[in-house]
Amino acid sequence: MKAAIRHLVRNRRRSLLTLLAVLCPVFALVVMFGFASANLSDMFDTVTRVDTGHLQIRHVDTRAAGSATALMQDPSPAIEALAGIDGIEWHTVRLDLPALASAGDRSRTVLIQGVVPEEIDPISSTRSLIVAGTYLTSDSPGVVIGKELADLLRVGVGDDLVLLGAHPETGVGVLRVPVVGIVDAPIAEMGRSVVQAPLALTRQLARSATAATAVVVRVAGVTGPWDSDRIDAVAAKLRAVLPADYVVLDWRDLVPQVDVFLRILNPALLIVAAIFFGLGALVVLNTVYLSVMERTRELGLILSLGASRGRVMRSILSEAGILAGVGAVGGALGGVGLVWIVEALGGIPLPAEYSAFAKAVGINSVLHLRVDAPQVLLAAAAMAVVAVLAAWVPALRASNLEPVEAMRYVE
Amino acid sequence: MSNSPLIRTIDLRKAYETEAVTTPALCGVDLDLHEKEFTAIAGPSGSGKSTLLHLLGGLDRPTSGEILLEGRPLSGLSKDQLARLRMTSIGFVFQAYNLIPVLTVLENTAFVLELQGVARAERIERARRILGELGIEKYADQFPNRISGGEQQRVAVARAVVSEPSIVLADEPTANLDSAASLELIDLMRRLNEGKGATFLFATHDARLLDRVSRVVTLVDGRISTDEVRDSA
Ligand SMILES: Nc1ncnc2c1ncn2[C@@H]1O[C@H](COP(=O)(O)OP(=O)(O)O)[C@@H](O)[C@H]1O
Ligand SMILES: [Mg+2]
Repeated sequence: MKAAIRHLVRNRRRSLLTLLAVLCPVFALVVMFGFASANLSDMFDTVTRVDTGHLQIRHVDTRAAGSATALMQDPSPAIEALAGIDGIEWHTVRLDLPALASAGDRSRTVLIQGVVPEEIDPISSTRSLIVAGTYLTSDSPGVVIGKELADLLRVGVGDDLVLLGAHPETGVGVLRVPVVGIVDAPIAEMGRSVVQAPLALTRQLARSATAATAVVVRVAGVTGPWDSDRIDAVAAKLRAVLPADYVVLDWRDLVPQVDVFLRILNPALLIVAAIFFGLGALVVLNTVYLSVMERTRELGLILSLGASRGRVMRSILSEAGILAGVGAVGGALGGVGLVWIVEALGGIPLPAEYSAFAKAVGINSVLHLRVDAPQVLLAAAAMAVVAVLAAWVPALRASNLEPVEAMRYVE
Repeated sequence: MSNSPLIRTIDLRKAYETEAVTTPALCGVDLDLHEKEFTAIAGPSGSGKSTLLHLLGGLDRPTSGEILLEGRPLSGLSKDQLARLRMTSIGFVFQAYNLIPVLTVLENTAFVLELQGVARAERIERARRILGELGIEKYADQFPNRISGGEQQRVAVARAVVSEPSIVLADEPTANLDSAASLELIDLMRRLNEGKGATFLFATHDARLLDRVSRVVTLVDGRISTDEVRDSA
């Protein structure tokens, strides 16, 4: 051990290089993972909070309703089922109705989200996104629309919209309602096509006093897709108690883009990690190999004096192990430190030209980093192990030197 | 000398094969070495002295013939068994580069004891004692590159004898030393031989050193040409 450290100190440059070969990949991976998981969490949260919830209970689509969601004439069995299940943060009834929104000579197809305004806050953050006017209340008729839609239809707060609701199961209904508020939706497509209205008003359009399309559920304790176990558990319980003509959709059905992103992201991160590990391993292999070459005569002497091959291997591996350990811990601490500093400073704001893109895909215009302890530990441990395995190659060579030849070796 | 020899070689041969050429280095050596002997192997450069020491020390294998160490043949031993044998039974002093640069004189001296698994306190104590006996205790905490070549060789002798091996094999230990330092080193080995009864076999082509030894085996072209016992020293 003492000899190992002295060897490392004797050739500081090479030791530093070996150390960096372990430290840099770990550091980069911690930051990269941190970046990916923060943005994934952000995207997941945005979509589930503003729009879909974690789970939705819907009615089985018996009439091939096309693009419209199947209606349930009465959502009360779903609500009763929810009452008996733990782990639910909040739920609310929603009626989504395709409609044509017109103002003057301009019109656009939209999706009316009929919501219970008083219930929606824990699930949806729409209220906080209001940029003009006010949010909905149950007793006053009026709708909230996205900024983008307001621009398309050239309407502002106080202007009337004509809504032509059409559902294959209910036929057509027409209403004239004022715009009471305008929201800056986190996703541009949502801002163009979503109109929020009180549930009662939407039911009028659907010509049914009890109709709903979904009971939207938010599961307690979910911070990102990695908590999907909790969601799945609640979904399973619901499926077990609901009547057969109800279905439970989870976030994978509701937010397929997050699921797709996850499916691409994890392999992509793994490939990047493998490349980093491979590069780190190559550098370690190289530096340890050089150190073995340089010490050929010393190794020959040690073998001549009767050191076992195992001892020679252990001495080379312990040197590599010390550097790998220090490098891995250093890289992890460095990465976590950077994440911590970035978060303490409030994240990295995206340049203006990217914020439209960020909005389009549903991520914040401030990029955040997130430390995932198991990921950090895994990255650090895996790199340290890979480094020691890489050192195995030169260590094996060292232990198989012929003592007499090795002692005669000249650099 | 009818008691059984410490080392016996029987028709020992070694030929080095390199690509096309085969170099015969030892051509049938029969040699008995006894405990407490202080023997020099003399002979011109290329006569096979190093080769013989390497074979006797289990650092290399003969092409044919046999070596018996304390009656046990070396030919059947595996690579790892030979390493163990070197660690337990042989002390080595090489011509140069004897010491491990990252270890102090004391740690170098104790190195073989460490390989043998001797407890730390004991090996430090034994290493200090032998350094004291050889008058180089003051260098105990120095690193090898801070002491002279003669001192380094003395440390190498200290390391070779500290574990009390069956025999110390020294391959031209004085080759890189001036004549005063050479004589000092041989005298020191001789004192260890007489005082502690350590058995030495060393190769040299320096005729002046031969006055100090009790037996001189001369190799010429891989064969023993003379083997004389002297009562000098
Ligand atoms: N590794 C080797 N490969 C080929 N030939 C060798 C090797 N070692 C020694 N020899 C040859 O064997 C002969 C004896 O060498 P050596 O034992 O080193 O003699 P000495 O130590 O007496 O100078 C010489 O001819 C030398 O060139
Ligand atoms: Mg020689």
